[in-house]
Amino acid sequence: MAVKMDPIHQFELKPLVSFGHIGNQEIAFTQSALYMFAAVGIIALITVVATSRRSVVPGRMQSMAEIFYEFIGSTLRQSAGHGSERFMPLIFSLFMFVLVLNMLGMIPYAFAVTSHIIVTFALALLVIGTVIVYGFMAHGTKFLKVFVPSGVPGWLLPMIVAIEIVSFISRPISLAVRLFANVLAGHIALKIFAGFVPALLAAGAWGAISPLPLALSVAVTALEFLVAGLQAYVFATLASIYLSDALHPGH
Amino acid sequence: MATPPAEHGGGFPPFESHTFASQLIWLALAFGLLYYLMDKIALPRIQAILHDRAVRLSGDLDEAQRLKAEADTAGAAYEKSLSDAQAKAQAIALETRTALTQEAETKRKALEAELNARIAASEATLRTRTTEAMGNVRGIAGETASAIVERLTGRSPDEASLARALDSVAFPH
Amino acid sequence: MRLSTEFIAGVLAGGILGWMFDHFLGTKPWGLIVLLMLGFATGVYNVMRAAGSLSKAPTTERDP
Repeated sequence: MAVKMDPIHQFELKPLVSFGHIGNQEIAFTQSALYMFAAVGIIALITVVATSRRSVVPGRMQSMAEIFYEFIGSTLRQSAGHGSERFMPLIFSLFMFVLVLNMLGMIPYAFAVTSHIIVTFALALLVIGTVIVYGFMAHGTKFLKVFVPSGVPGWLLPMIVAIEIVSFISRPISLAVRLFANVLAGHIALKIFAGFVPALLAAGAWGAISPLPLALSVAVTALEFLVAGLQAYVFATLASIYLSDALHPGH
Repeated sequence: MATPPAEHGGGFPPFESHTFASQLIWLALAFGLLYYLMDKIALPRIQAILHDRAVRLSGDLDEAQRLKAEADTAGAAYEKSLSDAQAKAQAIALETRTALTQEAETKRKALEAELNARIAASEATLRTRTTEAMGNVRGIAGETASAIVERLTGRSPDEASLARALDSVAFPH
Repeated sequence: MRLSTEFIAGVLAGGILGWMFDHFLGTKPWGLIVLLMLGFATGVYNVMRAAGSLSKAPTTERDP
């Protein structure tokens, strides 16, 4: 029973096919990779297969794809403004990927890919890398104005620039840590509350209060579904805001 | 819960760095595939669908507007032909009525004239007959008077005194 | 949740930068000390900006 209640166990990677080691790195096709490709498959089902008929009057799946498209499109426009259409594929892919992975993670006994910091950090680095590369490509050295906010008195400027640089570096960290921490904490909480129910039932008289953690775990489950959707949205919105720096530096 | 997680080597899986390279490889492959699908197929297609729908909708609206305008002109034309027909019918009715009235009038006048002629003829006949009758009355009166005088006096009165007497009682000739 | 993450990210960024400074330039404790302090300031700055952008979200629409 104690092993079953271990809330960390669910985050363990299970190699399905191992390709051996490179240095100390184990290269293996794990269940995490399987979930990633499953997510890609689900997204492709919604956005590619369901839209293949290009009906003017959409079916349920096609209108879902259209709703996601318009939702992400308007979020991106509001956050990044003029010229942001070029980042639509990136933001749309990020949002759908994170959303579907979060939702897959909510299935009982399923694995949450986004509970691994390396995954969320890689996605965040992709965003910041795009900001830096596109920023320098489009604006050259003028892109460095991102670090110099306007309307700051001269003697404070070096300090502010230093803080802005560290703040810029903190962006992928905050982006990655937020998603990772939310998913991780949510799944640990779910596991613990769900684990209370059989534990109390097994503890004789204490079984009388087992409905309490049951109700609580139902509530936490509902909350976690909300968090799963919200974090995907927050990830896409923040990525859009960061990309707006690449489009319009010097604000 | 206090049991050490012995079955996975004592680490905290998300921070076990020996899995990082493997995860990054699969993430890059999966996300790369996703990005390619979205960028090359899904998003252009959804955009085309939405654009088509907007075009179709505005096209349908224009078509509806055009049809409505057409219907309006058709309606106006119908109204106009209807009022034209009404006016025409009225004119025909008026004409017919006038013609009929005129005809009736002429017929009436002809009838009247004929009747008047007949009345006049009848009156003339009556007058001749009356005169004739009156003439006969004078004869009868003369004869009767001479007969009475002959009976009373034994001789018949002479023509002249008889005529005088008849004239005195105003028998016209 | 969002604000605390902003703060933690600032401190983490400072700490990571400081550690890298020390690691590559051999300035053992000083880089970490200075940049952790800077990271702390950045954390506060991040939180202020996030809170500000949350409270006056409509006015940031002026961006072209």
